Amino acid sequence: MNLPDGELLKSRVVEDPRDLLAAALDRALTGYAILEPQESLLLDAGGQGILTLQDGVPRLAYYTGTDRGGPAALADLATPGPYRVELYQLEAAVSTDLDATGGLQVTPGAPAERLAGDPALAASTRRSAPAAWCESGPGGAAADDESTGSESRRSAVEAFLDDAEKIEAIREQAREEAQARAEEWDFATPEEQAVEEC
Amino acid sequence: MVEAFAVASGKGGTGKTTSTLALGMALAEQYDVTVIDADTGMANLLFHAGLGDVDTTLHDVLADAAPVEAARYERFGLDVIPCGTSLDGFRDADPGRLREVVATVARDTDVILLDSPAALSSRSAVLPVVLADRVVVVLQPTIPSLSDGLKVQEYADSYDTGVAGLLFNKVRDEEDIESVATKTERYFDGPTLATVPASEAAREARRAGRPLLAHAPDSSAARAFAEAASRIDVRDRGADRVADRFRSAVIPDPP
Repeated sequence: MNLPDGELLKSRVVEDPRDLLAAALDRALTGYAILEPQESLLLDAGGQGILTLQDGVPRLAYYTGTDRGGPAALADLATPGPYRVELYQLEAAVSTDLDATGGLQVTPGAPAERLAGDPALAASTRRSAPAAWCESGPGGAAADDESTGSESRRSAVEAFLDDAEKIEAIREQAREEAQARAEEWDFATPEEQAVEEC
Repeated sequence: MVEAFAVASGKGGTGKTTSTLALGMALAEQYDVTVIDADTGMANLLFHAGLGDVDTTLHDVLADAAPVEAARYERFGLDVIPCGTSLDGFRDADPGRLREVVATVARDTDVILLDSPAALSSRSAVLPVVLADRVVVVLQPTIPSLSDGLKVQEYADSYDTGVAGLLFNKVRDEEDIESVATKTERYFDGPTLATVPASEAAREARRAGRPLLAHAPDSSAARAFAEAASRIDVRDRGADRVADRFRSAVIPDPP
């Protein structure tokens, strides 16, 4: 996906992209967001996710790390966070050209559901989207009928669960974090207790 | 006998408080149950249990201004220890005293359910998972929720806290939950206790200030929670064990 230059509105590290998506929707922003998961362990090559927005509604998704687009890109991008996010505004005419890119479409509520886990935000995003985007779209998005829950969402969740390596990486990261915090917070772990009891 | 469970999810919005009270009411058919609002920064339980106007709450106990019994209310066949909503109460409460509260309650109840904070980002937020014998992980069939649930399990495991099971909540009809649940179980140490459908009854119950099992006991969600409770095999861990858990943990800093 070749992105035109846009006006940078925000650049920050966030726990999850919820606020970014909500702000874009509130402002009816046309442009794109770049999301970079900060946990490179979870994504072999690392990379950036690109999410285009039209009038605040997500339209296309692509992840450079796996060279996948659409719902698959959202599945690749779904990590426990944090993310570095950048939000760019575009002239509407430019973004219309982007919209012609095939095979990268996501249904309007999918990013809020899959990246932010926020069904309420997903629902309000769907309400703001042109009806045709929810029903079908160019590039074969017809199966992503989010008004009734969705083939693509199911497949994204199941694809996530099928990726044992990624899940093990999440667990490993959480284990290390839990152990480090146990020390930081002076919570004894079972091993330490056993030593004390000897 | 006594066993303490933390009802946790690692993220907000999964319906932990509804789940805690529903499991509590269902378990109360067989056991003496005490539910504690361990989310001291975001009190929620009192509204779900119709206790919005009580004077004494867990905040007072954690501030050493009242004994545990003064904040313990019998409602819906359970003992409920709610948190208050005032910022002053939160500021004065010392979450480290939660361990003493749990140890005190453990002397005269069979099941303790700790309604846990949404995040794992602070000492006081992790404390319920540290204090519990096992966690019930509340999930939704979304990637962020599953990721956070995995995180809860790893934290629990770090403190030798087991996993009693998984509760898929707010599940919509169209979601292929059986397949998702089967795949999810591969990564967790406990079974799926139930899949609870998204339910207008749960929202109505919250608005009415009554637990779901009291407000709409015949709803499909209430039946699913009852099924989940029936699959939890409560074990006797002994009151002393609860009191002794992590006695070397120093008292966390005040919020």
